[in-house]
Amino acid sequence: MYAFDIERPTTIADAVAALGAEDAQALGGGQTLIPTLKQRLAMPSKLVSLTAIPELKGVCVADDGALCIGGGTTHATVAAQAAAHYPALAALAGGIGDPAVRNRGTIGGSLANNDPAACYPAAALASGATIVTNARQMAADDYFQGLFTTALDEGEIITEVRFPVPDRAAYMKFQQPASRFALTGVFVAKYADGVRVAVTGASEGGVFRWTEAEAALSADFSADAVAGLSVSSNGMMGDVHGTPDYRAHLVKVMTKRAVAAA
Amino acid sequence: MSVTKPLPHDSGPLHVTGQARYVDDIPTPANCLHLAFGTSSIARGTVTAMDLDPVRTAPGVVAVLTADDLPFANDVSPSIHDEPLLSVGTVHYVGQPIFVVAATSHHAARRAAAKARITYAEEAPILTVDQAVAAGQYFDDGPRVWQKGDTDAALAAAPHRLRGRLEMGGQEHFYLESHASMVAPQEGGDVVVYSSTQHPTEIQHKVAEALGVPMNAVRVEARRMGGGFGGKESQGNALACACAVIAVKTGRPVKMRYDRDDDMTITGKRHDFRIDYDVGFDDTGRIKGIDFQQYTRGGWALDLTIPVADRAMLHADNAYLLDHARITSHRLRTNTQSATAYRGFGGPQGIFGIERVMDHIAHTLGLDPIAVRQVNYYHNMGPVRAGKVSGNTTPYGMEVRDFILDEMTEKLLADANYADRKAAIADWNAKNPILKRGIGFSPVKFGISFTLTHLNQAGALVHVYQDGSIHLNHGGTEMGQGLFQKVAQVAASRFGVDVSLVKITATDTGKVPNTSATAASSGSDLNGMAAKAACDTIRDRMANCLAELHQCPVERVRFEDGKVRVGDNEMTFEQAAATCYQNRVSLSATGFYKTPDLSWDRAKGQGRPFFYFSHGAALTEVVIDTLTGENRILRTDIIHDVGRSLNPALDKGQVEGAFVQGAGWLTTEELVWDDKGRLRTHAPSTYKIPACSDRPEVFNVELWDGENPEATIYRSKAVGEPPFNLGMSAFFALSDAAAACGPNYPMLDAPATAERVLQAVKRARG
Repeated sequence: MYAFDIERPTTIADAVAALGAEDAQALGGGQTLIPTLKQRLAMPSKLVSLTAIPELKGVCVADDGALCIGGGTTHATVAAQAAAHYPALAALAGGIGDPAVRNRGTIGGSLANNDPAACYPAAALASGATIVTNARQMAADDYFQGLFTTALDEGEIITEVRFPVPDRAAYMKFQQPASRFALTGVFVAKYADGVRVAVTGASEGGVFRWTEAEAALSADFSADAVAGLSVSSNGMMGDVHGTPDYRAHLVKVMTKRAVAAA
Repeated sequence: MSVTKPLPHDSGPLHVTGQARYVDDIPTPANCLHLAFGTSSIARGTVTAMDLDPVRTAPGVVAVLTADDLPFANDVSPSIHDEPLLSVGTVHYVGQPIFVVAATSHHAARRAAAKARITYAEEAPILTVDQAVAAGQYFDDGPRVWQKGDTDAALAAAPHRLRGRLEMGGQEHFYLESHASMVAPQEGGDVVVYSSTQHPTEIQHKVAEALGVPMNAVRVEARRMGGGFGGKESQGNALACACAVIAVKTGRPVKMRYDRDDDMTITGKRHDFRIDYDVGFDDTGRIKGIDFQQYTRGGWALDLTIPVADRAMLHADNAYLLDHARITSHRLRTNTQSATAYRGFGGPQGIFGIERVMDHIAHTLGLDPIAVRQVNYYHNMGPVRAGKVSGNTTPYGMEVRDFILDEMTEKLLADANYADRKAAIADWNAKNPILKRGIGFSPVKFGISFTLTHLNQAGALVHVYQDGSIHLNHGGTEMGQGLFQKVAQVAASRFGVDVSLVKITATDTGKVPNTSATAASSGSDLNGMAAKAACDTIRDRMANCLAELHQCPVERVRFEDGKVRVGDNEMTFEQAAATCYQNRVSLSATGFYKTPDLSWDRAKGQGRPFFYFSHGAALTEVVIDTLTGENRILRTDIIHDVGRSLNPALDKGQVEGAFVQGAGWLTTEELVWDDKGRLRTHAPSTYKIPACSDRPEVFNVELWDGENPEATIYRSKAVGEPPFNLGMSAFFALSDAAAACGPNYPMLDAPATAERVLQAVKRARG
């Protein structure tokens, strides 16, 4: 690591102020950022830890029924506390990484980082979640902008994520066997006004919605409904763990599995 | 008697409580320096400029050495001196050490090493088999050919003929303890080396060369390794030599351990192979003639590639009598890590080739793959021993006199209920369109001995103290396999005492010199016999003394049940030892053993390179998901031949672990290099070894009830490598499941990752 200062504010306002410094960087659970720093791939002047801010933590249900999760809530907490309200989301959180990652990593950190193989972006996009920051609210459709890229501005903090709770939903992840990242993961959510399907781990552009499947599943919510569809391997990731063809193939298989499990 | 008892590993309690001491656990001496290599970032080229000032001025750095700073030999090769410790200006693979940093801490050394500014004139690397063949990059002066009979005529005359290609990946050793060495400088320029090595004598030899001193100035001690698997046969030389040179230069103790990524990037792995086959056979699947072309990437330096490739040729027959066979071996030089020893030492690669052929023939003829194997088996031990069968010889002209796979196969198929399960699987597959089950069988016949004949020797040193306690030392090393306990059981049995009286001690070149690597599965065979010889020398001296004292014939002195009976008198072993001491009997002896009846002409590919063969057979059932290629091992049944087991608990553990490691090689363990020659799978986040949960849900392992017809230690057989091959049964089960999806042979390659299984399903469907 390069040298840096660290602050641990206790309110969102103090955190925003601290992030105003040049090259300051927010630190959530550190499950991505700390290894990145260790490899000297980033050189922030100051880290602003968000782990001591009570208002960023916790799971609750809003008046409109949406599940609201504080940006600083760990995966383990979501797995435990969202289970009664949004089981598919809780199951997703419970399947991220390993216990160490789940007890440190946060939903806000995951969404802000937007790793193309992360699980949470699929849930947020498929649920049509609202990303709430210290400054504004964004629809998930506007929020994700490509590999490690989001609509967040410098110094902006995700304070809360609001998930409309679907009638039925499931997340199916094909794990890269060594790291357990999603080689391809698909989140399917069925709402009264239609079905949303979000795919992570597969595309060079990061998480995306499979709109053909959404249309087919909105008309007929069954695994057979997507049987006639195919996914192009153009723009799919190819790496040491899988070819673009394999990932394209898995999108459909995981979608069918998710529909069957929802 | 202590031998044949299923005693636990002697260090089991130490392992699980963390008390077992590995090199990095030895309390670090005051003033100790720590090393890290600066390595090449390109696969092939020349260093044009090297600015090491930022390294030298980094915090904690005490010394930075390049090749020019080395006092004597700059070589860590175990074979032909083609492997400089530090690059001499050319670089041959990504990860090759170019300079070494000595600093006040491990992390300071690693951080400093990263600060070097090196520029290169890059050349196009030779990375693949095809590139190496095209460029004529051969070790061993070109392809080597061994043959038996008239293969071309047999192929031409055969009723059926088949050609195919099998690709198999290499394998990272992934010992839990990475490489480590520590060197303590002594007076007069001598050194003591603590090394995590399977080959202390090799470490001694290379350190002596590096320091320009005779071997008697270097003492190497190795108590245990946290896994070796062949990866610590030659690859520890670099660390030990670097530590020794800097220890002598600075007068300070020096330690070096590889971080996991560095270990995977720098050190060699199992040789990957491509095997092309052309086989002629009859309607029963009996092979009439076969031609193998074996291609292997040996990496940038020779290391042990010649004997590894030889052993692949020597096992191209596996368990099958081949009347006409030609085996051509291409040992290729590539700009990758120098591939090295790995459990099986080329044997599994050779065996895998002919096992694929058996499977392919069976599919082509619509026969049961096990039946095809059985018609090709060598003739059984019984008739051969009775002289009823002639020509039961391997392609290298060795008569097979101890073959027992017929009975073992029959028993395995009966115990595992093969016929019924095969039918049940077919029914199940007919009803299930998505998931498909498969069942696979693989036998192994594995040759035991070093093929470099002079290595088949071992020594031991035994002391009996006047209180009756015993100190045991021998040339073998402990890497978790339980060798020390087995040899201790031999020693205890010779003296008729409980194994708790035997103190197991670290391998030490100052106690037993000129040892061979603990390799080729030979640890117990060689060191057990050497220890027996030493114990018997002492026991005979004691018996003579006691017989004389008690005026009884020496034949009536017996050591058993912790007692020494001298005629009608009885005393404890402790009393006997005290009496012998008081009567001035030497209670210390060395023992020596060399394997008999070996003769091997490598140039001709003819002779008797092996003392005997070990056998085993495995049957594995799997299920695959035909939509993704995901798969699970459901059940494995194994019968394995270890002769008269010295310790059934340890032997069973070796068989279980070997199967899991062998299955890992052929399924999830995938090494990927990019087109720049960089290994992209150099950490557990990208390289998947089997975990405990990946073992078969039902795992029945049985040791064959028999004994070695050859006069080995208590008629036991070697166990380290042979059962590794049984992992192939999992691979052929996957292939069988894929074959259930369509009419074609799936032509599955290894490792059979989920994606490869899915492709095989598609090929089966056509």
